[in-house]
Amino acid sequence: MAIDPAGPIRQTDRVPPAMPTPGSADSALVACVGADPSVFGPVYDALAPVAYGTSLGVLRDPDHAAEVTQEVMVEVWQTAARFDPARASARTWVATLARRRAVDRVRAEQSRRDRDQRDLDASTGGPAHDVVAEDVERRLEGAAVRRCLDSLTTTQREAVVEAYYGGRTYREVAERLGAALPTVKSRIRDGLGRLRDCLGVARG
Amino acid sequence: MTRDAWDLLPAYALDAVDDLERRAVERLLASDADARRALDEYRDVVAAFAVEADPPAQMRDAVLARLAGTPQLAPPPQAARQTGGAPAPAPSADRPRRRRWGLVAAAAAAVVAVAVPTTIAVQEHREAVRWEAQADRVAQMLADPEARLVTAPVEGGGEATALVSGDDVLVSAEGMPDAGEGHDWQLWVVADDAPVSAGLMPAATGGVSRALVEGGAGHVVAVTLEPAGGSDQPTTDPVLAIES
Repeated sequence: MAIDPAGPIRQTDRVPPAMPTPGSADSALVACVGADPSVFGPVYDALAPVAYGTSLGVLRDPDHAAEVTQEVMVEVWQTAARFDPARASARTWVATLARRRAVDRVRAEQSRRDRDQRDLDASTGGPAHDVVAEDVERRLEGAAVRRCLDSLTTTQREAVVEAYYGGRTYREVAERLGAALPTVKSRIRDGLGRLRDCLGVARG
Repeated sequence: MTRDAWDLLPAYALDAVDDLERRAVERLLASDADARRALDEYRDVVAAFAVEADPPAQMRDAVLARLAGTPQLAPPPQAARQTGGAPAPAPSADRPRRRRWGLVAAAAAAVVAVAVPTTIAVQEHREAVRWEAQADRVAQMLADPEARLVTAPVEGGGEATALVSGDDVLVSAEGMPDAGEGHDWQLWVVADDAPVSAGLMPAATGGVSRALVEGGAGHVVAVTLEPAGGSDQPTTDPVLAIES
């Protein structure tokens, strides 16, 4: 297929840099504060894939991820005035909202399952949110953070990945890994610190 | 404690903390600009895990249709913005009225605090304290000669006691009905009429539900029935409110 040099320039790169310069998503989000809902279209187009991708990473089930995404995008509209471009990119802001909701859903589901199936866990193969190594590799394809995970020790990587994809508290991560609580807390802290340095994230 | 909260910032950015830790971190964020900046950086890191994916095509119209009847919220007050504001849940129709919690505080305040010999409190509680993570703190509380015991009725016939030691409260509630399918009992610390979640009430053992509420001393500790997993704010009237 020939490329028309006169045609519109399309953004095809789906992997944004870790620290994007203030982009169209940021300004579109700021512009929708106090505006008519009709201006939300470009905000949705720019940010719904972040919300859906984040939800899918945590929940894995496309239907659940779609429900969470819909709630998140309505929340983005409702709370647009809280977006502070000095503190976060629109992408990070929406990823934060989506992760919070997705993790809440995992925890609610977990607590229900704990009550209903306390005795059945062994026979049903355990919780649905087991984090499997090859699965993680697949889910990380295209993630900006992927190239930086090699800068972590094996134990740091394990703790961060369990917390991220399992939607678990670090306390639960410690139980699963059979490691001491302070050890896991340090691994997560040092792991995210190394990722921050590798990604070149710096604010303020 | 401040140092501890700093150490929790990365886990907080991953939503990998429990409710009590979240409150500790949010107190730090409210007062420390460096902590806010560090959190913003960790959130960028966490967001770098996200791989964008196209949601189902029909969702776009569904969302845009919903916005027509959805008002936008005003910008948060400065304090809320400082804690990062972002993940604060949007208010919903079932959000409780704050006034109700003012009444709760007044009613609970009328309950008389009775000083009891610590040995009785120890006997009453020691046997039941089984959860390991909190065992050390609970043992300290039980050994505290300054500890106070406060009692209050549980709606529906039971009775609750609160052992208050230092900043913390050990709540024991007898006669709490089962929360039932799809629900949990959730604890709240009510200071200045504003309920803050203190986590879910563990399942009862031997007919008694017990929970350690860190930082609850001097406030009202309340229990409400909530959807499984808990709520950001109470959605029902409290069955128990105890002035610690």
